[in-house]
Amino acid sequence: MADTNREITFNNVSKFYGEVLGVNRVTLTIPPGITSLVGPNGSGKTTLMNLMTGLIRPTEGTLSVCGLGPDQPEEFFAMVGYCSQFDSFPKGITGFDLVYNGLMLHGYPYEKAYKLSMEAIDRAGLVQAAHRKVAGYSKGMRQRIRLASAIAHHPTVLILDEPLNGLDPMARAETIELFQSIAKEGLHVVVSSHILHEVDKISDQVILLSSGYVIAEGPIHDVRTDVTDHPMQIMVRCSNPALLASKIFAMNHAVEAKLHSDGQGLLVRTRDVNNFYLLLNQIVESGAVELEAVAPADDDVNSVYQYLIGSEGNSI
Amino acid sequence: MAIYKRLYRPYVGRYTGNRFRFLVITKSALRTLFDSRPLLAFFVACNVPFTIFLMIIYINNSAAAQALLQMKNAPIVIDNFFFLRYLIFQSTLSFLLTAWVGPGLVSIDLSNDALPLYLARPLTRTEYLLGKFGVIFLMTSVITWVPGLMLLGLESSLAPIGWFERYYWLFGSMLVGSLLWIGVIGLLSLTLSAWVKWRIVATGAMLGIFFALAGFGEALNGVLRTHWGYLLNLGFDISLAWFDLFRMAPHTGLDNPLFELPPWAGWLTLGLLSAFCLLMLNKKLKAREVVR
Amino acid sequence: MSTARPDWQKRFVQLRAVVTIELRRYFFTRQALAIYLLALAPVVIIGLHAITSPLGRHCNIAEDTEILAGIVQLFYVHLGIFFGCLILFTWLFRGEIVQRSLHYYLLAPMKRDIIVLGKFIAGAVTTSLIFCTAVLLSFIFMYGHFGPKGEQFVFDGPGLHHLGAYLLITVLACFGYGAVFLAISLIFRNPMVPGAFVFGWESISGVLPATLQKFSITFYLKNLAPVDLSGKGLLSLFTVVAQPVPAYIAIPGLFLFVGFMLFFACWRMRTMQISYAKD
Repeated sequence: MADTNREITFNNVSKFYGEVLGVNRVTLTIPPGITSLVGPNGSGKTTLMNLMTGLIRPTEGTLSVCGLGPDQPEEFFAMVGYCSQFDSFPKGITGFDLVYNGLMLHGYPYEKAYKLSMEAIDRAGLVQAAHRKVAGYSKGMRQRIRLASAIAHHPTVLILDEPLNGLDPMARAETIELFQSIAKEGLHVVVSSHILHEVDKISDQVILLSSGYVIAEGPIHDVRTDVTDHPMQIMVRCSNPALLASKIFAMNHAVEAKLHSDGQGLLVRTRDVNNFYLLLNQIVESGAVELEAVAPADDDVNSVYQYLIGSEGNSI
Repeated sequence: MAIYKRLYRPYVGRYTGNRFRFLVITKSALRTLFDSRPLLAFFVACNVPFTIFLMIIYINNSAAAQALLQMKNAPIVIDNFFFLRYLIFQSTLSFLLTAWVGPGLVSIDLSNDALPLYLARPLTRTEYLLGKFGVIFLMTSVITWVPGLMLLGLESSLAPIGWFERYYWLFGSMLVGSLLWIGVIGLLSLTLSAWVKWRIVATGAMLGIFFALAGFGEALNGVLRTHWGYLLNLGFDISLAWFDLFRMAPHTGLDNPLFELPPWAGWLTLGLLSAFCLLMLNKKLKAREVVR
Repeated sequence: MSTARPDWQKRFVQLRAVVTIELRRYFFTRQALAIYLLALAPVVIIGLHAITSPLGRHCNIAEDTEILAGIVQLFYVHLGIFFGCLILFTWLFRGEIVQRSLHYYLLAPMKRDIIVLGKFIAGAVTTSLIFCTAVLLSFIFMYGHFGPKGEQFVFDGPGLHHLGAYLLITVLACFGYGAVFLAISLIFRNPMVPGAFVFGWESISGVLPATLQKFSITFYLKNLAPVDLSGKGLLSLFTVVAQPVPAYIAIPGLFLFVGFMLFFACWRMRTMQISYAKD
C-alpha cells in the first residue's frame, strides 16, 4: 500500500468556476521526485496547483499533500512552497523584503529570517538586485525572486507554475539544476511548463492534462508504451538497412520503415516494440547487419503530447 | 534563394472619419457598461422622476384629467422653480450614475497598462479623453437636459398663451445648467479615475469629495465665522449657478444660505475645479508610466 | 491528521509580523494621503482661527467649545473617520486582490484569522494615530490661542475631560468603522455600495427603533460625547440621543460589536478562495 504521508493524492477532485470547468474527476497519486504537469493553455494545470495549495477549494472530492490539507495551514504551508504564475507583488516592495516578509510570517526570528532570505536570494542569483524594488525587475528577475520566496523556508514540497517562463537559457539551466538537486533530496517538485524538451529532461513522471481532464500519468516511457494508437518510432543506424527493412516487414507488427538518405540507417514504426528488439537482436547475431546505434525516436514528452493532446491542444 | 508567399493584405476599406473617431471608444465603453443589468436597471429608474414630472405637467394643463382625478383646479404652479426642482432631482441621479460609471472609465485602462495601446493608434490624448467623456455625456444627457427640454416643450405647448413668452429663456437655462453639471462631474470622475487606479476607491473618493468637502466647508464656516466655506460644497456651487440661470431670487421666500453668496462665486469655483481637473488629466494621461 | 497543540507564542510572533508589515505599508501610501487630508483639514482652519484671533479677541471659549464639539462629533466621526476608514479598511483585502498579492499571505503557514486580526490591528492603529493626532492638534489650537483663559479651561475646567472623551470617541470610531468596512470588503466585490448604505444607516440611526440603533457605531459614540450639541433640522439626526446609555455599557457594547464583525470577517476569510480575474 502506498505511503500517503509521502505522496500528493487527489481523490475524484473536480473544480468548477461557475459553469466553467477547471478540472474534472481527477484521481492522482504523485510520488516524490520531479513531476511535470503538461497541457495546453486552459487545460487545468494552474487549477490543479491552486487546489494543491488551498488557494482554491475543490467543488467535489478530497486531496492531501503528504497527509495534510490546506485546512491545517500551520503545518501544511511550513512544508509547501508555491511559486505561482501571478506576476504581481505587493506595491513598492523590494526583492529582499518579499522573501524576508514571507519568512517573518512563518514565525522565524529576525536573524534566522535574514539568513534564510539571503541564502534563498543567493540561490536565485539575485544578491545584487535584492534591495531594489521588484517593480523595476525584468521578467526573469521577477520569476527568480518568486522562486526564492518559494524555496526560502526549505519546503519539502515545491510547486512551481511555469517556473521557466521569462528566464534566459543560462538561468533556465541553473533553475533546472536547482530542481534536480531538490528532487535528489527525496522531495516533491511539481512543475508545470510549456517548454517540453526541458520538461523531458528533468521529469521523473508527467501528468498530461487537456480540457480539465487527466489524459495520462506516469513515467514518460510507460505513458508512451501505453499509447498503442501510434506505432513506436525507432531510429536504427546500421549497415545494410535495406536488408533489415525487408526482415522487419516479414513481421506483421511493423508499420513503416523509412531508409535514411545517406543509406546508413532507417526509421522504423512498429506496434510491438519488444518483438522488434527481439528480431533486431537475432538479425545482428546472424551477422547480416552491423549495428551502430538504436534509439527510440518518439519516446519523449513532446511526442506523447502530440499523440495524446494534438498540436491544436485538443485531446484525441 | 528563398521564395516567400505574399499572403498579407492591408485593410483597404473605409476608415471612420478622423473627427468622430473618438466615438469608437465611447461606443465600446457603452456596450461594456450596458452588459451590466443592475446599471441598466438604474439607468431606466433614473427616468422615473421625468415620467412623474411629465404627468404633473399633463394633469396641470388638462381639464379632463383634473376632472377625472376630482381636482378643482391646477394642482401646482409650473414656473422656473418647478423646472429647477426637476433639474435638481435629475442631477442628483446623474451624479450617482456618474459615480457608478465614471471612476472605472480610465482606471481600467491604466491598471491594465492599456493606455499605450490606445495611444499607439491614430488617436490623440484629447480624443481618448473625449471618447471617455462621451460616455458620461451621453448617459447623463439622456436623464437631464434631453427630457428637461421635452418637458419644457410639452409645457409650452399645453400651457395657456403667454407662458412661453414669459419663460422661453428656461430652454437655455435647462440646457446650460445641465451641461455645466455634466461637465463638472464628468471631469471630476475622469480625473479621479485617472489618478486613483482602483475603481472602487475612485468611487469612494467621488462620494468623499462631495460629502467630506461639504462637511469641511461647514467646519470652516463655524470656525472662521464666514459663509465662504459653502463654496467647498459642490452641490452648493452648482446651486448658486442654477439659481442664477433659473433667475431665482431671495423674494421666493426660501430660507437658504445660497442667497448669502454672490452667484459668480459658484461659477468661478466650478470653473476653477474644471480647470484643475483638466490640468490633472493632462498630467496623468500619457502613453508611458514611470514605475516607482 | 495533526494533533499538535497550538503554538501560541509562534502565533503571536506571526501576528506581530503581519502588523509590522502592514503598518509599514499604510503610513506612506496614496490612500494614507487622503486620510491625512481628511484628518488635518480642520486642524488647518482651527490653526488659521488661532492666528486671526489671538487671545480670543474675536471669539469666546463657550462658542469655540461648541464649534470644536461640532467638528469632532459631526465632521470627524460622521465624515472624516468614516471615509478614512472606508478607504483604508476596504483596501486591506480588496486592495490586495486588485494588486493580485493576497496569495503571499494565504501561502504563509498561519491561521487566516491571524491575517484578519493583524491587518485590522494595523489599520486601526494607523487611523487612530492619524485622527487622534488631528483631534489633539485641533484641541491645542482651539484653546491655545486663548492664553491663560484657555489654560484655565483645560487644566482647571472641563477641558481635559473633553479631550479624553474626544480621543476615546476617535479611537472607538476607528475600531468600529474599521471592523464594519473590513467585514464588508470580505463580502462585496464593490464595497462602495454597502459603504454608501452604512453612511445612510449611520445618518438616520438616531430615528431608528431602539433595538436597531444598537447596530450603529454612532449610537455608542453619541453617548460618550462630552458636549451636548443643539443640532437644528437635519443636523439633529447626528446629535440627538434618543435613549442615553452610560459609558460603561457604551464602550463594551461597541467592542462587542467590533468583536462580532471581526468574527464574521475571520469566518469569511477561512473560506476565501483566490479569484483575481473577477476584480
